[in-house]
Amino acid sequence: MLLFILKRVLQAIPVLLLVATVTFFMVRAAPGGPFDKDRAIPPEVMTQLNKRYHLDDPLWKQYLDYMSNVVRGDFGPSFKYASHTVTELISAGMPPTLELSLYAILFALLVGLPTGILAAIKQNTLLDYVPMSTAMIGICLPTFVLGPILLLVFGIWLGWLPVAGWGQSPGDKILPSITLGSVYAAYIARICRGGMLEILSQDYIRTARAKGLSTARIVLVHALRGGITPVISFLGPAIAGLLAGSFVVESIFQVPGLGRFYVMAAFNRDYTMILGCTILFAFLIILFNLLADIVQVWLNPKLRQELNARG
Amino acid sequence: MTANIPKVDLPLLEKGSSLSQDAIARLRRNKVGMASFYFLLLLILIAAVTPWIAPYTYDAQNLALGAAPPSADHWLGTDTLGRDQLTRIMYGSRVSLMVGFIATAVALTIGVLWGAIAGFLGGRVDAVMMRIVDALYALPFTIFIILLTVIFGSSMLLLFLAIGAVEWLTMARIVRGQVLTIKRQEFVEAAISMGLSPWRIISRHLIPNVLGPVIVYTTLTIPSVILLESFLSFLGLGIQPPASSWGSLISGGVETMEEYPWLLIFPGLVLTMTLFSLNFLGDGLRDALDPRASKD
Repeated sequence: MLLFILKRVLQAIPVLLLVATVTFFMVRAAPGGPFDKDRAIPPEVMTQLNKRYHLDDPLWKQYLDYMSNVVRGDFGPSFKYASHTVTELISAGMPPTLELSLYAILFALLVGLPTGILAAIKQNTLLDYVPMSTAMIGICLPTFVLGPILLLVFGIWLGWLPVAGWGQSPGDKILPSITLGSVYAAYIARICRGGMLEILSQDYIRTARAKGLSTARIVLVHALRGGITPVISFLGPAIAGLLAGSFVVESIFQVPGLGRFYVMAAFNRDYTMILGCTILFAFLIILFNLLADIVQVWLNPKLRQELNARG
Repeated sequence: MTANIPKVDLPLLEKGSSLSQDAIARLRRNKVGMASFYFLLLLILIAAVTPWIAPYTYDAQNLALGAAPPSADHWLGTDTLGRDQLTRIMYGSRVSLMVGFIATAVALTIGVLWGAIAGFLGGRVDAVMMRIVDALYALPFTIFIILLTVIFGSSMLLLFLAIGAVEWLTMARIVRGQVLTIKRQEFVEAAISMGLSPWRIISRHLIPNVLGPVIVYTTLTIPSVILLESFLSFLGLGIQPPASSWGSLISGGVETMEEYPWLLIFPGLVLTMTLFSLNFLGDGLRDALDPRASKD
């Protein structure tokens, strides 16, 4: 088990290095510099700026400097907001994004799992068809359509919830979290139903039924553990989608998070900020994929044995 | 072994139906799937002839009118510049569908070739090619595409290539898996023993036999591509004004949804219905082409 984790961590490092390298050279190859303004900058000032940000060094030196700084957690100064470093901006934007993602995934699990389990137990009844059709709609409804509609209905027409902000007025975290989480609630419901159906047709479940155990006990104690494994392997990639979704949700609900910073950095051509965020996002995604893999092995005795057998 | 082969009554076999006929019959029984198919057909037809049938031009402004709710002159209302929304949605569908189809075609070409070559050659080549796919899977692609549009500006061509280049991974995996099983069958061994070149075996024997799953996955790739384009346009990184795509229309609608909700609701509805139809058609095709595959 420990060996497996170590191996996966070692596999993740080259990928991360690749992301950082490719991003670095892509940004450097981009036409137009960060200091291109509508107004022409005098050449002396340009030279000074380039010197200050070490843009006049040879490319390989810039690359090595940058990489060694990144390893130490220093993403350099922001090109757009000269008084801040990228690390400062990122640590300011991180908490709202992580909080939003956490609430969204909690919402998705709280809605998705019970719906999926119930649909599997009551297969081919109304309790199966209605939630599963709704889930299909949920999957097709893009975040940037659902968000504004929720905002319009609950924020403006009914006036029940605040329309924007994060942590400024009570309840303003509800709409963004639901918007971001609903697609995943739909996916989780479908995946959970599929997983449970497969497990419920296994022999050991029939044995449990023959023993006269209650349905609740069979489902919760015997079936659930196997039934939710596909959900867990879905959670890793889901985190990646969640981060992308946070770009939209944070823009719609004006949450001061990392996703919004990233989109703004993209508009401002704030290269160091883009670089830093990309590397950070890649790190987070790889990390969560890794965690999902580990939990999956931990939950599944069969996989664990295979790993032990192989050493 | 050769002694007592029972005589097969050949004409009898002809009465059966071919695999594709079976599949079409199964699809026809799927009402939601067929409804989705006709909706998409209509949408494609309208998009194709939009320049000739659109009631207005996509950039014709009527500032005196401003944003007006749906009326007899403007069926879906007008935006803040007095531009006809029906026209702009129709032109937007050209962009969205074109991105959907072309980017999917790019993904399809790379994915099928990559998967078929890896699966057929096997061994070390296969290991290296699939390792590359694994590594690319770990990359944050939405972020990567945003990065690309920032660096190279948001041109239509880039959008096609960038989206196509990220969507081929799953296709490659599916095709490789299929090829691995097909490779062991007699007709491929026969082709190898006849001395056909690997390229000929891949293109004439392997690829035609993996078409089923490929068709299904293609149908499911198109909506995710359309969604990705709309997502980029919504963020302002995709299609640039005055051209319209569904994503940019929705983004415009969000800004003024308090006063003019129809500017959000209609483009949102069209986009959602399109995604819905493509997903249902994909599901229907999967059931039709591979009756054994379960739904989830």
